[in-house]
Amino acid sequence: MAQGIVNRVVPASPYALGVVRFVVHGVFLGSTVITSFSALGSLPPTILRPTGAMKFLPWSFYDQLLTHTGILTLKTVMVLSLLLSTAGFLTVVSTKTSLLLVLFYQGLLRSFGHFNHDEMIAVYFLVVLAFTPCGDAFSIDSWRARAKKDRPAFAYAYPILLMQLLLAWVYVSSALIKLRVAGVKYLSVDNLPALAIFHSLDNLHDTAFHFAFSLPQVRQYLPFAVALVLIWELLFPLAIFWRRIRWWILGLGIVFHVSTLFLMNIFFPHQLAMYLVFVDWDRLASKKSSKTSVNS
Amino acid sequence: MSIISRLTDSSAPISDAERRLIVKYAILTAAIFLPLLWAFLSVRNLYPIAAWNVMMAGGDLERGRSYCILRGETVSGETIDVAPIELTNALYSRTWTMVNATIDNRSFKLPSIHPQNEELLRQYGGIENLPPGARIPDLLQVWGDLYNQREPESSPKRLKAIRLDMYRWESGRYSDYDKFIESWRKEL
Repeated sequence: MAQGIVNRVVPASPYALGVVRFVVHGVFLGSTVITSFSALGSLPPTILRPTGAMKFLPWSFYDQLLTHTGILTLKTVMVLSLLLSTAGFLTVVSTKTSLLLVLFYQGLLRSFGHFNHDEMIAVYFLVVLAFTPCGDAFSIDSWRARAKKDRPAFAYAYPILLMQLLLAWVYVSSALIKLRVAGVKYLSVDNLPALAIFHSLDNLHDTAFHFAFSLPQVRQYLPFAVALVLIWELLFPLAIFWRRIRWWILGLGIVFHVSTLFLMNIFFPHQLAMYLVFVDWDRLASKKSSKTSVNS
Repeated sequence: MSIISRLTDSSAPISDAERRLIVKYAILTAAIFLPLLWAFLSVRNLYPIAAWNVMMAGGDLERGRSYCILRGETVSGETIDVAPIELTNALYSRTWTMVNATIDNRSFKLPSIHPQNEELLRQYGGIENLPPGARIPDLLQVWGDLYNQREPESSPKRLKAIRLDMYRWESGRYSDYDKFIESWRKEL
């Protein structure tokens, strides 16, 4: 029975894993291209507080990096590596260099501000992709290869399952930590309005929406909304094993993250983009090819 | 036959290559999930190990909160709001915590301090004598310069000064959000 469930829900082809590589690396490529590294490089290193593994690097390194030349070199190398890994060229090497560069860059950003979890799940996806055969299809490498790689379906299915489990972990652990730290207080009538208003007072957030200021008028209903979010987070793993409710769970996720944008001026675009790991790319491809053959 | 099938059908033979693949994926899974489990149990983020503790404490109406607004004074005499996300977009949702940490002088409280911060500490005679936001003027200078770089030399929108105004919401009610606390100003 377990075999039936897993085989049904996890795509098991090199094509599906190749598309996931394209999406994950492509998201980082896109965000790197549109980011002004020269502005980042002009920030003073004296306000930097290296976090976690970033503490191992000396101050002289950060002084060199946070210069016009230093930061533009980082951007150039990142764009080049992410271009290669997104396109699936020299995938075995380029997925690893992209992982290291993104890991370093995200650590640098977190050394200025706070931990911020938006990109973290995508970073973990990069880890999975760096050590799995994600260049065997939907890549320049596979196009150039004369013979197809002979690997069991598990080689492609398990990495996708692992990424889905990681995304489920994000939500389940988040709900459990809230319940552990705040307990039933998390369902107080003032939790959401106070939090949302605080994040709407300054002009240092992503956006400057003021919808939060209308929340106190409906505060008696808000504990139900918060409880619904907690339940949704706890039930997220069902999206992996139960296709019938998968799109409801992911749909609620989109509504939740868009709501945090309008109510709290906080958005998790990278995390939302990672929902694409739940798309059955094999099925989509076979649908497309059958449509093409019918048309021709 | 997929390994998933094999896991549920113990009679199916497994080749050496497949066994190596299972071991490799088991190591990969453990290498990712064991640190995550540690972070979850200790509710601690240690980059790149993440505990998803976003908003774990929730909002509290009784607890006062300080916040800042970045403003610019134009050459034409206007005071305008300046959105730092448009100046340093790399930081996006981390800008407000960067500002809070800089106001708290947290970069002076590290086990290993930047040499220029060590020098400033020596000048002030210790962290206890350091004024709040000792490095805020440096940050304001960067934001002011970045803003002015985008405006033509003759533009009346160019800034002659930039400032960070700090307010506090401590009323314990859903009103009176803006009790003025302090301001940092930098001539450009």
